[in-house]
Amino acid sequence: MLAIYKKELRSYFTSMIGFVFIAFFLVIIGIYFTIYNLLMGYANFEYTLSGITFIFVLLVPLLTMRLMAEENKQKTDQLLLTSPLSAFSIVMGKFLAVFSIFLIVMLIICTYPIIMMRYGTISTATSYASIFGFILLGGAYLAIGLFISSLTESQVVAAVISFIVFLFTILMESIANILPSDNKSAWVIFSVILLIICIIAYKMMNNLVVTIAIGVIGEAALTLAYKIKPTLFDGSVVKVFQWFSVTSRFDNFYFGTLDLSAIVYLISIIVVFLFLTTQSIKKKRWS
Amino acid sequence: MLIEVINLVKRYGDHIAVDNLSFTVDKGQILGFLGPNGAGKSTTMNIITGYISATEGSVKVNGLDVFEEPEEVKKMIGYLPEIPPLYPDMTVKEYLNFVADIKKVDRSKKKKMIENIMESTMIKNMENRLIKHLSKGYRQRVGLAQAIMGYPPLIILDEPTVGLDPKQIIEIRELIKKLAKNHTVILSSHIMQEVSAVCDTVLIIDKGKMVLIDKTENLSNRLGATGCIKLTVKGNRNKIMEAINKVSQITSIDEHGTEVNGVYDYTLYTDENVDIREDLFYAMSNAKCPILEMYSVKMSLEDIFLKVTGSNRSAIKPVEASDNNVFEEDSSVDLEEGQKSEEEVEVNEEENKDVSHI
Repeated sequence: MLAIYKKELRSYFTSMIGFVFIAFFLVIIGIYFTIYNLLMGYANFEYTLSGITFIFVLLVPLLTMRLMAEENKQKTDQLLLTSPLSAFSIVMGKFLAVFSIFLIVMLIICTYPIIMMRYGTISTATSYASIFGFILLGGAYLAIGLFISSLTESQVVAAVISFIVFLFTILMESIANILPSDNKSAWVIFSVILLIICIIAYKMMNNLVVTIAIGVIGEAALTLAYKIKPTLFDGSVVKVFQWFSVTSRFDNFYFGTLDLSAIVYLISIIVVFLFLTTQSIKKKRWS
Repeated sequence: MLIEVINLVKRYGDHIAVDNLSFTVDKGQILGFLGPNGAGKSTTMNIITGYISATEGSVKVNGLDVFEEPEEVKKMIGYLPEIPPLYPDMTVKEYLNFVADIKKVDRSKKKKMIENIMESTMIKNMENRLIKHLSKGYRQRVGLAQAIMGYPPLIILDEPTVGLDPKQIIEIRELIKKLAKNHTVILSSHIMQEVSAVCDTVLIIDKGKMVLIDKTENLSNRLGATGCIKLTVKGNRNKIMEAINKVSQITSIDEHGTEVNGVYDYTLYTDENVDIREDLFYAMSNAKCPILEMYSVKMSLEDIFLKVTGSNRSAIKPVEASDNNVFEEDSSVDLEEGQKSEEEVEVNEEENKDVSHI
């Protein structure tokens, strides 16, 4: 794991991507910091951070696109997968490397509240709590990016898909609000989602019997639940879609609270996507 | 017994890449894996190294199953895939360092091992170059160095000499032979000379099926004799025919006409293990028709390979192992092609017998 970590870290700094990422990140944070905290004189560093959550959409794909896609393309995955390393330690090494680059930026940012302290009293606790939340948010995006990179051989495809997915996680909050909240349309929407899942399952497994079984059982369960207790579906679409809204979890940090549910949510996103990446690497063996 | 492959099957949808392959490799052997492109060589190697899984069957290395204990098995294998898995942005030394790390080479031994391996693969002078600036031959050697790293008991090389120049090929072959003293080596190739030069056992596979497995020297002994003599004579056609007819034991004669005025090519067939060259010489000498060229055709490993895989001859240019120089034949290749296919038909029947009793 350490070998992979060192290799990835070095490649970020030999290929300049690491420097570009850090520099660009700092420039944007610097602009917001200057405007919000220095010129307008707000004493809250969390305003700056919540203003720039969109930055992940632009910068994280840059950092994660090559992680697995490049190995797949150059066939160096053959070296890694035939070495005595486990798939999980490969994924962990890569994630920690890319997370370290991000942490460098965060460490520099930790000095900003100290700068602000020179000009008056600020709320140190909420400032650093929001930086902590921001780190977790970044970790979640990096894990998603790593997973997407492991699905393809092309860095460009990985970057574009990551970009679209990240954009959705940011827009999801607003999308969820316009979705219908009555229980009948919820039932319809879930049925459509089930259909899509079935199509994907069929494409992946090529097994008609299993696919139909999933579809029929799923639809039966949905309908049954709807008949017995329609109120269960009230506003459920909105809830489900909001669940995917990664950035909205940062809102509580913006209001100065250390939200435990958000912390758990973000950490589970990281864990789930690292797990999925491991599985997608292992799956290659069975293709 | 180091490797045991039992009833290996790999299916991609309807396509069968490896079809019920079974063989064993003993310690210290060099096994040559021979087959045309797409025969399933790389697939088999990928399965043995645990990169992909088999649809059915099992692979055991040193008694451990690749699917059940992949990490233990992977420790025992060094693998050079078809495309050397190199990171272009690393220097050779950095790369080998990284490989040593992921193969869990002891820290204390690492530095010395890297030095030794760089010397034996002759890349020491390139140690500080970026891999992307290396030529194909050097990349191949770095790939080989990577496979040797950690000195695993089993080294698997997928077409190790592809893209190398003749001098490098000889150097790499020497290196592989040297390695075989302490390691078991499996190498794949579609170049027959390579296998006959390096390997002690040959496994020929075609369309995923094993065609035959045998010691290299047995192969050419058993399948090599053809009882066929090529003759180029200068003189009058009738006189030559007369002289040939005087020689006993010839079963059939092929005449190939003439290229230069007054020079005729013949292929004479006798029973196997019958030598009529001396008689021919005197017969021609008495007829005052000088022999310009004469040699008995032996089947090279390449011919055997083509014979057992039944490949199309026009796809691969025939090269014959002969007592004479190979280069002399180039001028008459076209003529030989026609003749050779006839020879192949004859030989194919023979081969069917051979294969069935394997």
